[in-house]
Amino acid sequence: MSRPNKRLSAAPQELVDRSRPIHFEFEGRKIEAYEGDTVSSALSAAGVEIHSRSFKYHRPRGLLCVAGRCPNCLMTVDGTPNVRACTASVRDGMQVITQNAWPSTERDFVSVLDRLDRFLPVGFYYKALHKPKFLWELARPIVRRVAGLGSIDVDSDGGPTSNHTNRHTDVAVIGGGPAGMLAASAAADSGADVTLIDDQTLPGGHLLTDIREYFDVPDGLGLSTTTGHEIAAELRERVLGHQRISVLSSSSAFGMYQDNLLAIQTGRDSLNLRATHVVMATGAFEVPHQFHNNDLPGVMLASGALRLARLWGISPGKTAIVTTNDDSGYWAALNLSDAGIVVSAILDSRVVPDSDLLTLVRTAGIEVLAGQTINSAQGTKRVKSIATTSANGETRNIECDLICMSGAWQGASGLLLQSSSAGVDHDGIVRSGVPENVTIAGGVGGVHDLGALLSQAGLAGKRAAAKVGFGVPDDLPAIEAELSVFKSPTTSSAESSASPITQTKKTFVCFCEDVSTKDIAVAVEEGFGDVQTLKRYTTSTMGPCQGKMCHKAFVEVAALNLGLSVKDAGATTSRPPAQPVALGTLAGQNHMPRKRSPLHYVHEQLGAEIVELGPWLRPHNYGSPQDEVLAVRERVGIIDVSTLGKLDIRGPDAGKLLDRVYTHRFSNLREGHIRYGLLCSEAGSIMDDGTVTRMADDHYFVTTTTGNVDAIEDWFNWWMAGTGMDVYVTNVTAAWGAINVAGPRARETLAKLTDVDLSPKAFDYMRSATGEVAGVPSIFLRIGFVGETGWEVHFPAEYAEHLWNTVMEAGSEYGISPFGLEAQRILRLEKGHIIVNQDTDAVTDPLDAGMRWAVRFDKPDFIGRAGIAATRDRESKQSLVGFIADDGFVPEDGLSIVTNGQPVGRVTSSRFSPTRGVGFGLAWVPIEMAEDGTRIFIQSGRNEWPATVITEPIYDPEGSRLRA
Amino acid sequence: MAFLLNCPNCGARNVYDFRFGGEVLTRPAPDAGNEELTEYLYFKENMDGEQREWWNHSMGCRKWFIATRNTHSNEVLGTHWPDEPVTGTGQ
Ligand code: FES
Ligand SMILES: [Zn+2]
Repeated sequence: MSRPNKRLSAAPQELVDRSRPIHFEFEGRKIEAYEGDTVSSALSAAGVEIHSRSFKYHRPRGLLCVAGRCPNCLMTVDGTPNVRACTASVRDGMQVITQNAWPSTERDFVSVLDRLDRFLPVGFYYKALHKPKFLWELARPIVRRVAGLGSIDVDSDGGPTSNHTNRHTDVAVIGGGPAGMLAASAAADSGADVTLIDDQTLPGGHLLTDIREYFDVPDGLGLSTTTGHEIAAELRERVLGHQRISVLSSSSAFGMYQDNLLAIQTGRDSLNLRATHVVMATGAFEVPHQFHNNDLPGVMLASGALRLARLWGISPGKTAIVTTNDDSGYWAALNLSDAGIVVSAILDSRVVPDSDLLTLVRTAGIEVLAGQTINSAQGTKRVKSIATTSANGETRNIECDLICMSGAWQGASGLLLQSSSAGVDHDGIVRSGVPENVTIAGGVGGVHDLGALLSQAGLAGKRAAAKVGFGVPDDLPAIEAELSVFKSPTTSSAESSASPITQTKKTFVCFCEDVSTKDIAVAVEEGFGDVQTLKRYTTSTMGPCQGKMCHKAFVEVAALNLGLSVKDAGATTSRPPAQPVALGTLAGQNHMPRKRSPLHYVHEQLGAEIVELGPWLRPHNYGSPQDEVLAVRERVGIIDVSTLGKLDIRGPDAGKLLDRVYTHRFSNLREGHIRYGLLCSEAGSIMDDGTVTRMADDHYFVTTTTGNVDAIEDWFNWWMAGTGMDVYVTNVTAAWGAINVAGPRARETLAKLTDVDLSPKAFDYMRSATGEVAGVPSIFLRIGFVGETGWEVHFPAEYAEHLWNTVMEAGSEYGISPFGLEAQRILRLEKGHIIVNQDTDAVTDPLDAGMRWAVRFDKPDFIGRAGIAATRDRESKQSLVGFIADDGFVPEDGLSIVTNGQPVGRVTSSRFSPTRGVGFGLAWVPIEMAEDGTRIFIQSGRNEWPATVITEPIYDPEGSRLRA
Repeated sequence: MAFLLNCPNCGARNVYDFRFGGEVLTRPAPDAGNEELTEYLYFKENMDGEQREWWNHSMGCRKWFIATRNTHSNEVLGTHWPDEPVTGTGQ
């Protein structure tokens, strides 16, 4: 067991609670940590220096940014691969293992590749192992294994699913640094609802670790403190306590889309936030400098070293060298030394004049080596020393175990660039072209000085609020005029690189993909002439950091080799995600909608086998579909048809609308009469069918197939749009329950429960009536999908169980039986009734389907007329017919009809008929085979089964039972 | 595709709340020949630029309306109720 041994004395800003120890397991070893530690901070405290092995060469890598932006600390945590250990909070009992190393990151044998780098040239994938071809087949699995990130546990159930939320906000502020916090409170003070999104656990940004005194902070901001981290705390209190600000910590905005839609990952969950206005306060961060071995453990961003020291109380090294090209390096050095780290020297590439800052640094005992730059770092598993060059070419070795890189700043503009074409150079600083619904604040716009930054952020917040209608709108021009004073630096910055670029095989531009300055030089030599193609060929900027650590250096190195200025070399394109996102987060929960009929629980009680039919759950059978068929044919059956689509059509123009959309005519339908309705697309293909009942002069009741009602409702409304027709279409599917009671004893069963005269003389086939059934107001439709005397009874859904139970009781003396979908399918098939989308497809013409009787060409127009007319004028090529198979064979739905072994048609529905004792069905056949008695052959496996075409239903072809 | 669309009935909503109905088309006469019908059904303008198109507020008021949208930039220039009957949907 290892004790935390590298802790510094407790600092006031630290995030760990040293009174609450916890432990977790790392590579099978027990690690002690404190509440508030991250995996990385705890491992560092325990002396672990190598956090990962690099992608290609398996070089040891240690912590670099300590802020979740680089690829150096990817580990597998509790089975989840590629977790950034420096942002993952430790939990008791957590299991952490390393990735891409064998047997361990400490002793990785694959790191021999680092010395074999000449076999792994840039563009390796395109060049090596391709000839002979089998070589690649052999090598691929090995290459894939050796080069890569964490692996997915294929047996895992994926853990808890993530939630998706959608929210709106007036103003979204992205970035929880000083600029973001001040902008958020200014916007909220003006009255706007604000959402502040910060990817760190604690808002504060770089001020969190800053002990510098700021005396130039403007008075108007109401700040009472002057020390960096105290200002951060004060601002944080302001935003956290503000009732109009909601703060999302540990949340990263990874996508920005049109009209300010922000995709945000917060823990495992994903949030889609629509903001009327966005304040981009994403800041700027330090990036690695380009020298030999710049990836050795112990080479860190100055901000990373400082975070480790200040936030978690861990010493990142014993003796540090700071390398910089501007004043920020001096402040970094002072901060580090205040945290208890020995800073032996600052390497400043500038030849700096004496200044107060210089005096301050020297007083702290830090040597300043002006005009000196770093050439290389030495060491195997950790930095031991560095080699420097001075302006006049002298070289020198300095011992140190920590190199803090400072001064090369890259603006975090990736997110903004996804959705706009803002003007940004390779350094990521936004200089122009910000869209009207976005305001820039702070470092991302090149404003770094805290006083200026806070003033600008306050104005940015006010502008954002004014833009969404808060505050005094007339103030907007004044605010914008004030804001325009804060110009971004116009010089984008070849000279901002902190040291001249060394071009060696081990000077890494892209840490994610192990691309060195040398690789880029080779790629340029091979003819890749611009940053976009160089990016793709070398894969620079395409790894997990998405260019955050490398875009600037990449363009600088490319420009150097192409002989261009960095300005002319340009920038690569930003695309989502700006930050890696787990696929599970994007996938979210499986929200498959389920609809239950009002009789669902009755079916469950009856022991029905329930199946999914689109969104609906429906009873397939109640034990034996064959018995259920016989019950309907011989006695009486009852089926739940509540799932039928139901549309209530009312208004003086109702008939006119129906005449327009249906192939049949309905304006002349008499009250109390029902007609079959066929809907076609404009191409003349069958879309849907159902019944149309005229309830009153200006009132129709329409049924559609189960899954289609929403689409049909839209379809009706579409053809009404702009016509001024006086008609209302209301979808009453869920409001009405329905049962179909059918069979020779259906009349007697229902008659016991209603005053409506159901006698054959009074209630004819295809007629309707209204009246009560068991005291429930109902609509009776006498139709015959299953081919027996029967009524479809529609009633308010609330009464469904009462109605069902009462009918079952009334029918018990006649042997009533519930029947399910399967029995219904057999019954209708025996009658040759089609099911749209089962027996038809997207191009089925009603004439081919034998439904000419439903198409009224004497109507001057209806939807689909032109399409159907075109089929009428040419010969039909195929026809939907019935068949009876020989020898009791029951083909499966979808089998082919063959002639000489070639498919010429297909079976659409087929079942065994308990009534006739044969296998039979419906099939599409070529027109010449459509005649009654034609012998056809159905292919099943290797066999061809003979069958005979029939053109009449196998059951009750005259329909006498139906009309009885 | 993440833009806001202004339903003339409900106001600005996520485009995900709407169903796209395609270009505003003129349907051929009921007795049009096969060629004209085919042209209408299968050969769309597929405009790169400003286009008048049908939208249905399917997760809201379920009304159909017309939007003018620049298909190149995705900018919605305006939405309004159809001032004339639907002359075609091309479906
Ligand atoms: S060190 Fe963890 S992401 Fe950079
Ligand atoms: Zn609407």
